[in-house]
Amino acid sequence: MNIPADDRTFRHLGGNGPGWRDRLSRFPTSLLVLLSLLTLGGFVVLYSAVGGGENIDYVWRQSARFGFGAILMLVIAMAGSEKVYRRYAYLFYGLSLSLLVGVFLSGTIGMGARRWLEIGVLNLQPSELMKVALVLALARYFHDRSVSSGLGPADLVIPLLMIALPTALIVKQPDLGTSILLCAVGMSVIVAAGLEWKLFIGIIILLGASLPMGWNMMHDYQRRRILTLFSPEKDPLGAGYHIIQSKIAIGSGGLFGKGFMAGSQSQLNFLPERHTDFIFSVLAEEWGFVGGLLLLIVYCMIILRTLIIATTAADRFGLLTVVGLTTLFAFQVLVNMGMVIGLLPVVGIPLPMISYGGSSMLTLMIAMGLVAHVGVHSKQHGRTI
Amino acid sequence: MYSLENEHETFKVDTRRRLLLLGGLFAGGAVIIGGQLFHLQVMNGGEYRDLAEDNRISLQPVPALRGRILDRHGRILVENSPDFQLAIIPELTGDIKTLLKRMQPYLALPPDKIEKILRQVERQRSFLPLMVQSHLTWAQVNQIESRIHTFPGATIQVQTTRSYPNGDTAAHLLGYLGEVNDKDIFQFQGINFRSGDIVGKTGMERMFELELRGKEGFREMEVNAVGRHIRELKRQPARPGNDLRLSIDVELQAEAERALQGLSGSTVCLDPNNGEVLAMVSQPSYDPNQFIRGFSNDEWKKLVTDPKRPLINKAIQGQYPPGSTFKMVVALAALREGKISAHTRHYCSGSVVRDNHTFYCWKSGGHGNLDLVAALEQSCDVFFYKVSESLGIDAIARQAKSLGLGETTGIGLEGERPGLMPSRAWKKATFGHAWYPGETLITAIGQGAVLATPLQLASMVAAIANGGRIFRPTFVTSPENQPPTPIHATTIQPAHLDLIRKGMIAVLNGRSGTARQYKPEKILAAGKTGTSQVVKHKREKSGKLIKEDNARFKDHALFVAYAPIDNPRLALSVVVEHGGHGASAAAPIAKRIFDFFFDKYGIAES
Repeated sequence: MNIPADDRTFRHLGGNGPGWRDRLSRFPTSLLVLLSLLTLGGFVVLYSAVGGGENIDYVWRQSARFGFGAILMLVIAMAGSEKVYRRYAYLFYGLSLSLLVGVFLSGTIGMGARRWLEIGVLNLQPSELMKVALVLALARYFHDRSVSSGLGPADLVIPLLMIALPTALIVKQPDLGTSILLCAVGMSVIVAAGLEWKLFIGIIILLGASLPMGWNMMHDYQRRRILTLFSPEKDPLGAGYHIIQSKIAIGSGGLFGKGFMAGSQSQLNFLPERHTDFIFSVLAEEWGFVGGLLLLIVYCMIILRTLIIATTAADRFGLLTVVGLTTLFAFQVLVNMGMVIGLLPVVGIPLPMISYGGSSMLTLMIAMGLVAHVGVHSKQHGRTI
Repeated sequence: MYSLENEHETFKVDTRRRLLLLGGLFAGGAVIIGGQLFHLQVMNGGEYRDLAEDNRISLQPVPALRGRILDRHGRILVENSPDFQLAIIPELTGDIKTLLKRMQPYLALPPDKIEKILRQVERQRSFLPLMVQSHLTWAQVNQIESRIHTFPGATIQVQTTRSYPNGDTAAHLLGYLGEVNDKDIFQFQGINFRSGDIVGKTGMERMFELELRGKEGFREMEVNAVGRHIRELKRQPARPGNDLRLSIDVELQAEAERALQGLSGSTVCLDPNNGEVLAMVSQPSYDPNQFIRGFSNDEWKKLVTDPKRPLINKAIQGQYPPGSTFKMVVALAALREGKISAHTRHYCSGSVVRDNHTFYCWKSGGHGNLDLVAALEQSCDVFFYKVSESLGIDAIARQAKSLGLGETTGIGLEGERPGLMPSRAWKKATFGHAWYPGETLITAIGQGAVLATPLQLASMVAAIANGGRIFRPTFVTSPENQPPTPIHATTIQPAHLDLIRKGMIAVLNGRSGTARQYKPEKILAAGKTGTSQVVKHKREKSGKLIKEDNARFKDHALFVAYAPIDNPRLALSVVVEHGGHGASAAAPIAKRIFDFFFDKYGIAES
């Protein structure tokens, strides 16, 4: 690998950079605190969502994941060189892409949705890896190219391909939510990297124009979900059921909610998938508008915190990485909430840090570790907020 | 030359703006979501709360026990009895087909029923019991119960059903139950029916629906999304229906039914002192239990197409020309109008000719010269032809109306028919023709257009027995110290009534009485025979009747009577469809009823 001259002055992993004490002091503790707060609050909702009592196991498993995730975040953040992730970005991307191809190939044999790859005892979801890998690869790509004026069409061919390849593979799984997420994350990196505004608007128009094509490519159930969004009452026991019941749960929560474990909608099984994708309905039913708003505020604080880190990034790679990963986080928040409150079609996207499940949480903690890494290695010396 | 510093600076300026854009987009999304939350939770929270409540609570009805029906002495006519049903809970049963096959020796289900059950399994929540067979016999219950542990998911449920321990006794009177329909919902507007509800369809079951029904209770169950019950929130116990004590005497009823066994006809027994119905028979009958168990196609077809019409309650729905039993009405009208007196005599030569038409007496040779009492005793037609001529149809109709003919009695039974009392106005309104004088003659002997139900006839004879009071016939015994009030007291002079009664007493006790062979054994009774034409009799030129052999064209036999003559306690009417002569076919039935009644209760004042 052709390593630039200035990189050679650092020794691999932890060379000339700041010492580990220094790095630890610059770790964005507030980010971890906010994430912990979020997750702890999530445990309360999860406990209620699974019916409490004997199902407390769910909470234990989830907290174990968070504990592991927090350590992962710390380790990733503290990793020695500011350039270590940039160096392996393409490699990571290539690996993720080949795993996705692996899923695609084995998926053609099986029926229906196939998102998992079994490697020994490990159940790997390559689409989760790809979320992070895509951000890193795009950041690397734009980092390597100096742009004084805006990015032109020629600068976009490779990045768009980098987005399109995994997206296409994931659409085929089929996992509409994750594919849209990848596009959104990729676009955010491109925009932050300096996309010409004219081009930006052009792409938006192009995307709009390609909607009918996307519509044709969709599975029937996916189309139904979108149609249902506009008139859930038409199919109250079928596709509209999720939305109707979720809205009833949220709406009936009122201003202050029905109280912990007292949400009749969620406690009595009217809400499907209430501990995973629809966990926000449980929260909103039991803790009301106040609870929902509080959650939204915590999310905004986390996003604000990461964006501040972006402004202090030592290099373009760092900045673009934070933008992409923040988008990853924020997009999931907005889309998940949007769908459970009936503003967006139901696509399988979990609520960050709250929904039950390991893949999503670990991916996000890795992402937050990378964000923190940028903070730790920011150009400003002295504590970040 | 590539400069890290340089690149940083250009990139910083532009990027700040771009970061702001992204931050703004996120913030915008958050505001939209916050706004929708506010809209759902704060603006429309109440509405959604109601929806959530609807989701959560399911009202489960607790059926009310229907009141029993007893006779005047407290003997049970209708009760509730346990009905054993086999149900399976599919989620506890492995293979339902196999289970049904293994239980088949104890159930004997027809193949289409098995198909139906298997289809039902698909449609129903698997934790809800699915009824396989109801009305299990004791033997079946025992056989299944002793092996129940080998039939996973099978349970024997007990439900209450209506049962009629006396079988077809008083079936028409008691009525039967059926599933509620639009008509019922309209008629009983006070009741909140649910589909599939059981309601009285005919007879007492319908007439006293509101009393018998009670009030359904409910359990407020908290349910989850698939309808499984989580817990009970509230319980409102059912209020059972009231027992109903009827004026019917079940033993008299049964005896009267036996007396009419095998025939097609009806008898109504009233207490002439208050209008209470002691027995009301319509034959042939049916077993109301069958309505609970259900009919096979053949059974139902047979019941509906039977020419003797077992489903019709002939006591209130059968309308017959009253024949000679109508002569009392004509006599009373003539006495009231002063057209005849006790001493008026008319000569019967066997026929009279009016307007080129010959009106025959039933006795070809004629009765000779007779007065009213003798005319009633021998049922002379010519006497009444002559009386009616001076009287006119409208005077007869007025008298008939005041005795309750031509309109429903108001007994309250579903389907009661009014009979028909013709008049000039009726003829004009119905046919647009004037009334012919000859029609008055026909009507005077209870033929032609005039129609009466057995109940009306019984009520009429009760009024004659009790001094002219018309009571609304009732099935409910009135309290001891509360004298019944007649719906109208006819203004019949006692002297006139006495004459009528004398004639009626002579019918059973006179030397030439038409029913003298059928006088009751222990008491003196008064009665009147009647024969009503089904088709107009064909006569030879000589005036001799041509006998019709076909049973369908045979005359209806009628008899009305009361007893004892000095203190009447029982008034009755008997109609035997196509029975032939009133005397020979209907009077013996009355005799049997009187004998039974006074044998049992004596002649002492009640």
